[in-house]
Amino acid sequence: MTTIAQDHQQPFSAKFLQFYKDRTLLAILLSLFAVMFVYGIFFTDNYLTLTNFKAIIRDAALYGIMAIGLTFVTLSGNFFLLSLKETASICGVTFAMGMATGFGSPDLAGNFLVSLLAALAVGVVSGVIQGYFVGMGGNPIVVTLGGAGILYGIGAWWSDNLVINFTRPHDAEWLGTGSFLGLPSITWSFILIAIAGEIVLRHTNFGRKVYLVGANKAAGKATGHENFSMAIIVFTICSVCCAFVAVAFVAQMDSAQSNYFSAEFGSSGDMTILVIATVMVGGNSIMGGYGSTLRTSLGAIFIAMVDNMMVLQGFNSGPRIVGVGLMIVFSIIVFGLFAKGSRAQE
Amino acid sequence: MSTNPVLKISNVSRAFGAIQALKEVNFEINEGEIMGLVGENGAGKSTLVKIISGFDPGFKGSYQLNGEEVKFDTPSKAEEYGIAIAQQELSLIPNMSVAENIFLTGAKVKKFATLNTLSKMARPYLDEVGLTDIDPATRINLLSVGEQHLVEVARLISREAKILILDEPTAALGELESRRILEMVQRLSANGKSIIYVSHRLDEIFKITKRITILRDGVSQGVQETKDIDVNKLVEIMLGRELANMFPSRADHISVEPKIEIKELWPDGVLEPVSFSAYKGEILGLSGQLGSGAGEVLASIAGALQSRSGSLTLNGETFLPKSPNQAIKKKIAYCSSDRKRDGLFLGRPIFENLTSPALNAISKFGFNFGDTEDSYAKNLAQEFLIDVKRVYDESGLLSGGNQQKVALGKWLSIRPDVLLVNEPTRGVDVGAKSEIYQRMRELAARGITIIFASTDIQEITYLPDRVITFYRGMMIDEHRLEQIKTPVILKEITDPFNETNL
Repeated sequence: MTTIAQDHQQPFSAKFLQFYKDRTLLAILLSLFAVMFVYGIFFTDNYLTLTNFKAIIRDAALYGIMAIGLTFVTLSGNFFLLSLKETASICGVTFAMGMATGFGSPDLAGNFLVSLLAALAVGVVSGVIQGYFVGMGGNPIVVTLGGAGILYGIGAWWSDNLVINFTRPHDAEWLGTGSFLGLPSITWSFILIAIAGEIVLRHTNFGRKVYLVGANKAAGKATGHENFSMAIIVFTICSVCCAFVAVAFVAQMDSAQSNYFSAEFGSSGDMTILVIATVMVGGNSIMGGYGSTLRTSLGAIFIAMVDNMMVLQGFNSGPRIVGVGLMIVFSIIVFGLFAKGSRAQE
Repeated sequence: MSTNPVLKISNVSRAFGAIQALKEVNFEINEGEIMGLVGENGAGKSTLVKIISGFDPGFKGSYQLNGEEVKFDTPSKAEEYGIAIAQQELSLIPNMSVAENIFLTGAKVKKFATLNTLSKMARPYLDEVGLTDIDPATRINLLSVGEQHLVEVARLISREAKILILDEPTAALGELESRRILEMVQRLSANGKSIIYVSHRLDEIFKITKRITILRDGVSQGVQETKDIDVNKLVEIMLGRELANMFPSRADHISVEPKIEIKELWPDGVLEPVSFSAYKGEILGLSGQLGSGAGEVLASIAGALQSRSGSLTLNGETFLPKSPNQAIKKKIAYCSSDRKRDGLFLGRPIFENLTSPALNAISKFGFNFGDTEDSYAKNLAQEFLIDVKRVYDESGLLSGGNQQKVALGKWLSIRPDVLLVNEPTRGVDVGAKSEIYQRMRELAARGITIIFASTDIQEITYLPDRVITFYRGMMIDEHRLEQIKTPVILKEITDPFNETNL
């Protein structure tokens, strides 16, 4: 146990060791970063360029934002929202419908605010409904798998499985492809959402409740923090994050289709798996009660870094999906091993 | 009877971190003998039992079986040597038949066996434990809990156990079923099996054992011949001399204005609606064995268990909490009997546990930057004699006693009017016990009404100002301070209607 007084006198190496001992998981993640980084510099062309780093963070941003939302679900002990890509899908379709047709009223066609609000509203509704059933005691895996089917089905039905196009120039370009102070808007969003997530978790009553309920649901109930309202709120947060990502992605593509997030998206091809991988590679406890959105953000950047390196080295999508899979397996093993010592048994 | 013990343990010590669970303990048992093992909660009984049955190989000392030094790494190794344990929590599979459960490991059974064959094979073992009237094809969950215990023992016998450890086999049983267990123990002993009988029920210990090993604070207090000792002497050895100082002296004056009135409360596990009231600054004890309903009444006052009817009157308001949350808002705090299940957030730091019921008090507009919380948690820790430096540690790393202090101490953060405690000192060492009693008394002196339920007869005799007894879901009687007498209460919680002549 270190006290604050000791910290000042310790030499750097001792401090480093102490940090490594106290925060083993975070230290491992940072070391992995360093190793990948050095490997990238020496063995990959065009790796150490500002453009490339911007590209990495930009890649990380889309699933990173969804993963931050999912972190709340996982930390609160409600496992996963398995309808991530389906929620994104229906919200994307909603947004594109708004941009293209104005939901039937031509006056509203192309109105960014209305389309955005409509997409977020769909996210809120699906989050609240799924959270309600989980809060009532439903198994999160079963409930959200069911939700996945329903959400995807509605999106596909509504859009007749067609690609909904809207043409440039449109009001959502600033979010899709625009940038501010040299960084893409989506990167800014990622940074701001990551900071907000960390503040909420660390410094609000709600954040504390997320950890407490995640650590022990029964004790949470006994101290007046019930999982019912918790489940509704965390699933809503997660779904809204999905909706936001969907809007940004659709704004970038100028079009939407119900299977955008299953096939077209990123390296892994499947958004849900990629987002869950991000939460786990970040080292958050699957059982809840331990982790942070900071870890998730680092996990997102780490995955993007590895993926980017593989792209630059000329791997096509197959091996890259294998890479993501290996990262999940690896993170489970490493974090499982090291978490044993740090978390209370029984 | 042979003079050489079949099992002999000498100078065994076991430490868990800083806690010395056993210190140089000696234990032995002869063939065909029934050896009682008694001691308070936390005296080291379960640690010793775990060592004997091979669950805990990490001890220091000598373990001899038939004169040979042995070392068991796993329970199954111990079983090969004929040592088997029937634990309090049964390991039967509820929806399989009795016979299938007995031969669950598949040893001695042919590759293909019909239920009929198994039933025939199970018969002798069932007879041996006294289940002559049970069809081996019956599903386990159709049997009573006592019968299930007997099946568990039959299973151990089928694996040729020679030394049986029974860990509180009657804890959850009524008198009649307990008697069947005792009969079985005596029958097995007559058949040459050695039995280590662990129990809190001293009457049983006296009735069936030949010798008694007594543990106190991890130290063996010697072996006593049962016929040479009486209950008072046994209790004295079990507790040491601290008994008198362990409980704080009672308040001089208790107000007689009811603080909380409980009317017609009727939760599951209670046969008829229950009404009573508790006074301001009083410690009220609800006494009863497992299944008596005392704990259920407590839980339903706290909203943790639904009540079919009734209401509470507190501070002039009449209501019935539907959830713990509602009770907490009315300043009713409830510390359950199972701190690991719903009392503590084990993986989270102690300070988060301490402030968990009072997040609003430590934050402004929902934001909490730690400064208020820090002093808040440290004050609470100090009040409950928890090392202030440890508040940042995970609560799971604390000893049972300190965990209980956290589980209880966190409720002070909401400044409760009524504090409900179910089993205030379960699994807590003697030192922490006395500290907890002391704190409960001080809190009562501050005007908090404390109602606790306990199966511990000492606690019930020496701690509360008033006692209400429960038996099988019924409220039996109420005793004012001057009427609290151990034998009377014992009688009321075990056999109030003279159903047995035990």
